[in-house]
Amino acid sequence: MSQILPKKNLKQLLSNWAASYEIYAPQQLEKFAHFMPTNGSELLYIDEQHNTRFPPKALFLPQSETLMKYTRFGAAQETIPESKPRIVFGIRPCDAKAVDLLNLMFLTEKDSDPYYQARRKKTALIGIGCNIPCPSCFCTTVESGPFGRQGMDALLTDLEDIYLVRTLTQTGKTLFAEYPEATEAQEAEAKAVQQRSLKLIDPAFETKGLKAKLDSNFENALWQKFADSCLGCGICTFLCPTCFCFDIADEAQRKERVRNWDTCMFRTYSLEASQHNPRPTRRERTRQRVMHKFSYWLDHVNKIGCTGCGRCVRYCPVGLDIRAMLREFNQLEAEVANG
Amino acid sequence: MVKNPYLPIPMHILRTYYESTDRSLKTLELSFDDPENARAFFAAYNPGQFCVLSVFGKGECALGIANAAWEGDFVRFTAQKMGSVTQTLHEMKAGDPIGMRGPLGNGFPLEDWKHRNLVIIGGGCAFSTLYALTKHLFHPAVRNDYGELKVIYGTRNSGLCMYKQDIQSWHHRDDLEMHQAVDVPEEGWDHHVGYVPNVVKEVAPSPDNAVAIVCGPPIMTKFTLSALTGLGFAPEAIFTSLEKRMKCGIGKCGRCNIGPKYICKDGPVFSLAELNALPNDI
Repeated sequence: MSQILPKKNLKQLLSNWAASYEIYAPQQLEKFAHFMPTNGSELLYIDEQHNTRFPPKALFLPQSETLMKYTRFGAAQETIPESKPRIVFGIRPCDAKAVDLLNLMFLTEKDSDPYYQARRKKTALIGIGCNIPCPSCFCTTVESGPFGRQGMDALLTDLEDIYLVRTLTQTGKTLFAEYPEATEAQEAEAKAVQQRSLKLIDPAFETKGLKAKLDSNFENALWQKFADSCLGCGICTFLCPTCFCFDIADEAQRKERVRNWDTCMFRTYSLEASQHNPRPTRRERTRQRVMHKFSYWLDHVNKIGCTGCGRCVRYCPVGLDIRAMLREFNQLEAEVANG
Repeated sequence: MVKNPYLPIPMHILRTYYESTDRSLKTLELSFDDPENARAFFAAYNPGQFCVLSVFGKGECALGIANAAWEGDFVRFTAQKMGSVTQTLHEMKAGDPIGMRGPLGNGFPLEDWKHRNLVIIGGGCAFSTLYALTKHLFHPAVRNDYGELKVIYGTRNSGLCMYKQDIQSWHHRDDLEMHQAVDVPEEGWDHHVGYVPNVVKEVAPSPDNAVAIVCGPPIMTKFTLSALTGLGFAPEAIFTSLEKRMKCGIGKCGRCNIGPKYICKDGPVFSLAELNALPNDI
């Protein structure tokens, strides 16, 4: 059962929500869409087919965040964020699924992350499906889709002058309580839009058996081949909605301990004080990025650590395409001994 | 309210002393500001675990725990002067405040080793957690659960030997067989001379009902593992403790993995059988 939100009512809805929520929604900044705060008066940038350049992960795991303040006498005061309830409006299915995957890393039974948790539990995700996927999208290959619902409280389908709203949680129901039910014809129209979009995305590579092939080809020369064109800039990891690695450092002048995004693509990431480096060249580092997402994630939580958003493909300065890399592994034989 | 795993336990430095004559190794013993934290720490502590020490303004570094629980309500670490945090640790004095997170990691699987003979093999400053293990085994309530105990400890020279007084006294104990080695001959040295893997071959511990535990620099570990395999130790009966660059210590920050295993969370102690199943990523 779905509801109808006329597009002309969206501003009013957002401004109603703004009374009790902080709202983040895609808005145009330079040439790109960015998640930025809104109270309903800003022009949103959600009708475009392009996803935001930065994934919304920073709303849960900021690029730099203070973990604690300390004094020189050794006392530390934790700085757990306290915010109003939040709504992330206009999140795409790949990014909402990525937040759900991050939950698995941070909201663990043992050593749950209180900073992530404080942000996540106060945030509702209102998603919007993708009527026209980008050429770099490959969500359908990695267990998602242009109208995937994982992680969302409600999913919107754009039907020209209305949104068809499918509420998925109690929070979603509450947020859209005032809106009328959709007619059967509107439901059917949404379904047609969704199916048309699904057909526009071709399978990018085969995930079945991929982990075994990666595991058994740890020393394959392909890694060197990929690394040869990699610049080691790390943009693939910074723009990745599921990359979560971080560094912890003390900002002595501010007397704060902070954590900052870090990346396995950098040499210093694994460089030890003795100067030994387990991943001394881009070969090992490229391998780590790909293996983490398509092998180790499966070991850890039995999920692929990629949602097919395509940012690493779109924004790589040298056009390294993880889909093409994995297709090359598809073609290799998995070593029988490893199975 | 969730316990914050990033928040260090408030501690103070009880005493510090140099371990090596070249002053590259220094031991710090820390006391708990709050006795409640001491109780919680020792209830959880298993030899072989590590802590992340926290020097506010400098950062954190991971160090193995070098004392047994029965020694008292303090925690001992030996730090080699290496990076900026350990440099600062070397400058710190008794009475200075310091933070500590832990105990972290798995520690030695002591339950599985019960009633077996133990061969403890260490090289250089990596001996610290083995020192904790040996001290733990000395406790009267623990010692009878295990068979014969052999300790082989090598350093480049006698000046780099840690915990000198204690180790000197171990030669006279009747509940363990102590072998000490230096790399090159020294005047007055009446123990083994040579690299640890060769000393292991010389001592030739029997693999029967035995477990070998190896901690040392990578090159020593590599050759000692193959020496033990040559003596007939099965991969399941050889254990080692690994280290890598770490930040969080709780399996979140991402960097200390070998393939799918995080050294901080799944280790630092692994059997050779477990390591053989992992990719060459160290």
